Amino acid sequence: MKRNILSLIIICNLLLSGCGYDNFDEPTAFLMGKVVYEGKAVGVRTNGPQLELWQDGYGLKKSIPIYIAQDGTYSVALFNGQYKMVRKAGAPWEAQLNDTIIVNVKNKTEYDVPVTPYFTITGEGFQKQDNTISAKFTINKIVSSAKIESVRLYLGSSILTDQNKYEQVQNADIATIQVGQEATVTTTMPANLAQLDHVFVRVGVRATVSNEYYYTQVQKIALK
Amino acid sequence: MSMKYLIIKLLVIASFFLVSCNPDGWLERDPQNIIKDEQLWNDPKLIKSLLANYYDRLPSLHGVFNTGGMSELDDAMWSGHNDANWHNDFQYGDDYGRYWDYGFIRDLNLTLDNLDKYAGNLKQEEKDLFKSELRFIRAFVYFEMVKRMGGVPIVTTQLVYDFSGDPTPLQVPRAKEYEVYDFIYNEAEAIKNMLTPNNNSQTRANTYTALALESRAMLYAASIAKYNNLMPSPITTPGEEVGIPASKATDYYTKSLAASQAIISSKHFQLYNENSDKGRNFYDMLNKKGTKEIIFAKDYKLSLKVHRFAYDNIVKSITEDNESSSSLSPSLNLVESFDYLDGSKGSLHFKDSNGSYILYDNISDIFANKDGRLYGTIVYGGTTFRNLPVNIQAGVAVWENNSYRLSVAPNLGQKYDIKGGDNGLWTGFDGPKDNAQDVSNTGFYMRKFVSDASGASTRGTSAENWWPWFRLGEIYLNAGEAAFELNKPEAVGYINAIRERAGFPANSIKTLTMDIVRNERRVELAFEDHRYYDLKRWRIAHEIWDGNDNNENAVIYGLYPYRIVHPGHPDNNKYLFDKIRPTRFKRARLFRMANYYSSIDQNVLNNNPKLVKNPFN
Repeated sequence: MKRNILSLIIICNLLLSGCGYDNFDEPTAFLMGKVVYEGKAVGVRTNGPQLELWQDGYGLKKSIPIYIAQDGTYSVALFNGQYKMVRKAGAPWEAQLNDTIIVNVKNKTEYDVPVTPYFTITGEGFQKQDNTISAKFTINKIVSSAKIESVRLYLGSSILTDQNKYEQVQNADIATIQVGQEATVTTTMPANLAQLDHVFVRVGVRATVSNEYYYTQVQKIALK
Repeated sequence: MSMKYLIIKLLVIASFFLVSCNPDGWLERDPQNIIKDEQLWNDPKLIKSLLANYYDRLPSLHGVFNTGGMSELDDAMWSGHNDANWHNDFQYGDDYGRYWDYGFIRDLNLTLDNLDKYAGNLKQEEKDLFKSELRFIRAFVYFEMVKRMGGVPIVTTQLVYDFSGDPTPLQVPRAKEYEVYDFIYNEAEAIKNMLTPNNNSQTRANTYTALALESRAMLYAASIAKYNNLMPSPITTPGEEVGIPASKATDYYTKSLAASQAIISSKHFQLYNENSDKGRNFYDMLNKKGTKEIIFAKDYKLSLKVHRFAYDNIVKSITEDNESSSSLSPSLNLVESFDYLDGSKGSLHFKDSNGSYILYDNISDIFANKDGRLYGTIVYGGTTFRNLPVNIQAGVAVWENNSYRLSVAPNLGQKYDIKGGDNGLWTGFDGPKDNAQDVSNTGFYMRKFVSDASGASTRGTSAENWWPWFRLGEIYLNAGEAAFELNKPEAVGYINAIRERAGFPANSIKTLTMDIVRNERRVELAFEDHRYYDLKRWRIAHEIWDGNDNNENAVIYGLYPYRIVHPGHPDNNKYLFDKIRPTRFKRARLFRMANYYSSIDQNVLNNNPKLVKNPFN
């Protein structure tokens, strides 16, 4: 009986102990940073535009997608090594497929990815008066051939406010918007927003050649 | 003595071993368990069974009774088992709709090569017929690939590796997008006359299926040529693997129109119009087999091959099985896209301009005087299925403090029997019920394609109604669209013919617009594997499905009927309708630019460095 128990314990031990050979270590290095234009983070739709990482030196290739948070930051877990970063299409900035960026990742690497948006928004300010919110901002054209498709003011109940998720949106009259000059958009809050303690606001601009907006950073406005 | 016999015996036995038979051919026997090439390619029966396999493998994105697929990109949401609720909560990935089936192309090329090589004993016209059918299937597969991927490598012979260490002869680059469409057209033109012996079949390729393929493929090519170049930033690649020059649009529209007219003027087919009840007529058109409407179908038979579309989608209280039912809930938006018979827009009148409810005596009154195709496509309250009345009612609207309080029963089919209740129906056996499974979440059920045969909704029997690959109704719409784009006056006649069959008066449309053409396709061809491709080729998919929670087109809405409880008042037992956004529909549909052409698998790219990627991925 004693021997039986002994052998059972041994067998259990064998079954439970893993073999080092068939396990890979998880990636421990990190690449993180922001998507920037002239040092300023570019706001995007959450989970919208993506960057791509590639690594040479292996027989087969497979891209690693980089997801970008709504404030323009990103972070991706990798192994140490040299990677190529691609700024692909489907974003509010120009695709630069042939202009890869070489990034050396070691432990914790920070890298801000420079991009060229079609338009940017600067000098944004928001003001609340009774039940209306007005936004002042300046639209700048970065890519000279770009045309404005739409400019919109978004109001939301959460920080993830963008073209897909919002409670209230106000289109700006594009005819009146002059590039490089201050513009104003005003909207009235619907009842479900007006009763909240605070709302989140941001302004977005979309170029005709892109299907993603360039957004200002989300701002929280206290209502009470 | 016995010794002598023994020797003779031995000698006789030994002589058996020593004699050999002559000729040697006696030992040469055909194998019993292997069919040799010469046998296969000279036996019409064996070739037909091979063809049956290929016909069965004809590709579709979400056609051929694919309930789950339909809930992702047709005008319906998933209301079946909760485990599959991801259909209501997903985004089209870059690889959505990816189709790269060179295994199938190789099978077809191998068959074509072998027919040439071995089929010496087949009659020439028989051989031509088989080869033409194979070429039709191959053109159909290339059409499916070019719709989803853009220009793909055109391979028309077997690619055989020569073990030289150099694989480059096997690496075929992508053709231009229009070259693939031209290939499909030229193949169809080349085979259409050789296919005439099949002209009385509705399930094998014949002259008319070849023309129908031309009609559809040329329309797609033409609209990509036109609408892609109208985008602010057309989707193209430098080598034209994606994107068709705008100058080609007229030629393609002309070819499409010519093919459609050839089918219509042949009088071989008729728009099905046998029943004076136009709603019933539209349902029968697809549910009855062998009608003159169908050009090419995938057939089913109870004893051999069945499908479970009826099991998946039949109205809850009418199902004969103990599970499933009601997996697709069609959207309010689709219901509203069916016009009224007087020609007015199809929006349902459930609230007046002041925002108060409009009351109806019967549940079905709100749908009165609508396009007959609404009845033929969708089951709504107050109608029947398989001659059984459906029991659709979301709850009761109780008049309290000068407004209606909407109340839903805890169980389906429950009477309003609580204290103060009137013991009338509270919630119907068929719901609709929000956030519930296997019952409609929008207030609507599927009728189109749901067989009303006895036992069709059981798993033991299942359904045998067929799937229409091509039908005359689509050809009329193709002709109308192509003629409209070419500014030809006959365009409106084709559209009016389709509408007349649906119950509209003759010449119901005086001035045709592209919006009317598009809406007609939406309502006539709903759930027939057209909507997704139509939105893509018109280049409006990214606007219709823009991911916006406030966009009526990107979100599936429902319309719930409530019975009014207002004792002693004339409004008692009337009905009001409440528009809701179903809880189970989580995420507005978002179609990105990258979805116009699906991404090519990285393994395919790794194997063939000559391939270029699609834009945006």
